[in-house]
Amino acid sequence: MTSNTEQLELKDVVVSFNGFHALNGLDFSVNEGELRCLIGPNGAGKTTALDIICGKTKATSGVVKFETTDLTNLQEHQIAREGIGRKFQIPSVFQDMTVKENLEVAYCKNNKVLSNLFKFKLGKEEEGLEKLAELVNLQDHLDVIAGHLSHGQTQWLEIALLVAQNPKLILMDEPTAGMTRQETHKTAELFLRLKEKHTLVVVEHDMGFVKEIGDVISVMHQGKMLAEGTASEIEQNKEVQEAYLGSAGITNA
Amino acid sequence: MSAVIEKESELTINTGAKRFGNTTSQVITYALVCAAIFLVPSIIDDAYLLNKFSTYLIMGMLAIALSLSWGYAGILNLGQALSFGLGSYCMAMTLKLRTVPVHTGSEGLPDFMVWNNVETLPLIWQPFHSFTFAVLAGIFIPVLFSMLLGWFMFKGRVTGVYVAIITLAVLVVVNLLIIDQQRITGGFNGITDLATLEVFGFEFDAYGSSAYYLIAIFLTICLFLALAITKSKTGKIFQAIRDHEDRVRYFGYDVANYQVFAIGASAAIAGLAGMLYTIVMEFASPTFLGVKISLSIVIWCAVGGRHSLLGSMLGAIIIVGMQGSLSESETFLETWTLVMGFVFVIVVLFMPKGLAGAVESLILKIKSRNQE
Repeated sequence: MTSNTEQLELKDVVVSFNGFHALNGLDFSVNEGELRCLIGPNGAGKTTALDIICGKTKATSGVVKFETTDLTNLQEHQIAREGIGRKFQIPSVFQDMTVKENLEVAYCKNNKVLSNLFKFKLGKEEEGLEKLAELVNLQDHLDVIAGHLSHGQTQWLEIALLVAQNPKLILMDEPTAGMTRQETHKTAELFLRLKEKHTLVVVEHDMGFVKEIGDVISVMHQGKMLAEGTASEIEQNKEVQEAYLGSAGITNA
Repeated sequence: MSAVIEKESELTINTGAKRFGNTTSQVITYALVCAAIFLVPSIIDDAYLLNKFSTYLIMGMLAIALSLSWGYAGILNLGQALSFGLGSYCMAMTLKLRTVPVHTGSEGLPDFMVWNNVETLPLIWQPFHSFTFAVLAGIFIPVLFSMLLGWFMFKGRVTGVYVAIITLAVLVVVNLLIIDQQRITGGFNGITDLATLEVFGFEFDAYGSSAYYLIAIFLTICLFLALAITKSKTGKIFQAIRDHEDRVRYFGYDVANYQVFAIGASAAIAGLAGMLYTIVMEFASPTFLGVKISLSIVIWCAVGGRHSLLGSMLGAIIIVGMQGSLSESETFLETWTLVMGFVFVIVVLFMPKGLAGAVESLILKIKSRNQE
């Protein structure tokens, strides 16, 4: 699955907010089919890195390339259409709509206003969407209004929304935040299944979770890439230990 | 003990978590209300009262229009009266040109132009000799104007309260322009002394049941078309945009296109309502494009329940009806605005989802009690 074709490439990306450099010459590349974890101390620029990729923030300088497309000047919806999906830190499902309606909106193969105006029933995709609900254990909640789901279920629904969108690359910002141990474990399993069809970049604090899912871990510090490698390589890396100094060490970060 | 608690919590999930009603029951409810509206002329024989009821229905159409853009797509358009007014002027212009020569000046000039020393019919008035053109203009001028304004706003990512401010400001500007261009628009007085609408030899007298039925038919069409929009996938995307505009963008939807469509569809209904209003009022006036009516629509939707097309429509009919009867009753002659204000406060405080929301939760309560 993991091929050696580079799918995403960030080169020397600088983002500056009124002189503050959130990203300071970030180089970052991910291969197709990879599940990459992105970690780093608070303020390292992890979320900003995701923002740059999905178009929420524009780079001050540098190159962002997805496959053969330059993303630098594209708008959010155009980047999404290239095949990039994003899950935000704060769950943002559509609270007043049912789980099924949420999935229906996320399934965006056709994004034209007028053709969607004459679409009243789910077509062939219905089965797929129901399977998707099964994947995240929401098959019995299809008609429940999303605002009534538990926190863990909301997170899962959001993951399902991403999959419904069927992007090539999925960006996740702290997907296990606020989850119980059990839910976190289930999420890890889910990610390993997603890896079969999608490339994933996951920003995460929970080292246990990272070890469970990650092949290669990238560590960011002060807007730059500090180190890359397997979990054990990272934990023994002197620079990484220094970066985390002051917080209680990488394992508990 | 724990089993009891479990059962109770299940119950709360059943009542609160599922969507209220299904599409079929909704369509039936809507149809019943429309049928009731059609029955009114057979009960009421008073021409003056029927004319008043006609105006209430038109206000109902305006509320449907705002419910679609505000309640569903999250666009608080405070300039809804702009579309309404443009529609009403289009109808007034064509009806003015159809008045019998007695009411017009030399060479078929409308009377107010003669008083303003206008010598030839202005270019902008020429095409209104055609009734078909006027009807199309009454819908498409507001639609195009709103969509153009919407395009600038939404491509520029203007959201929330700024949309309200811009639309309100544009309304005021157009209103001033119409008052200022007295030679063409009749200024403060508007366009009065209109011919009675006659289509295919059929007369729509403002005080007859024919005009009432005409309005009831268009109200029904608009209500069900709007309902169809909200039930389509586009309608669901509207609601998604209302709740999380940014999130929708990251799915690959061009949010601005959806918002432009929403504001355009809403303007079409408002423009149509404006044309009908001219027919029953028998004049067009700059007050139709007023801030007052624009803000009133918001109140009707808030009271009726902006998330419900039917609720908003009934909200408009009830409030305008109450205003009408209160301001004419001798007891409340002086105090009717106070009474109305009191009603608004009560509704906003105790029914945040409006009358529609209150009725929904009441029915749900009765249902769950019956299940027990």
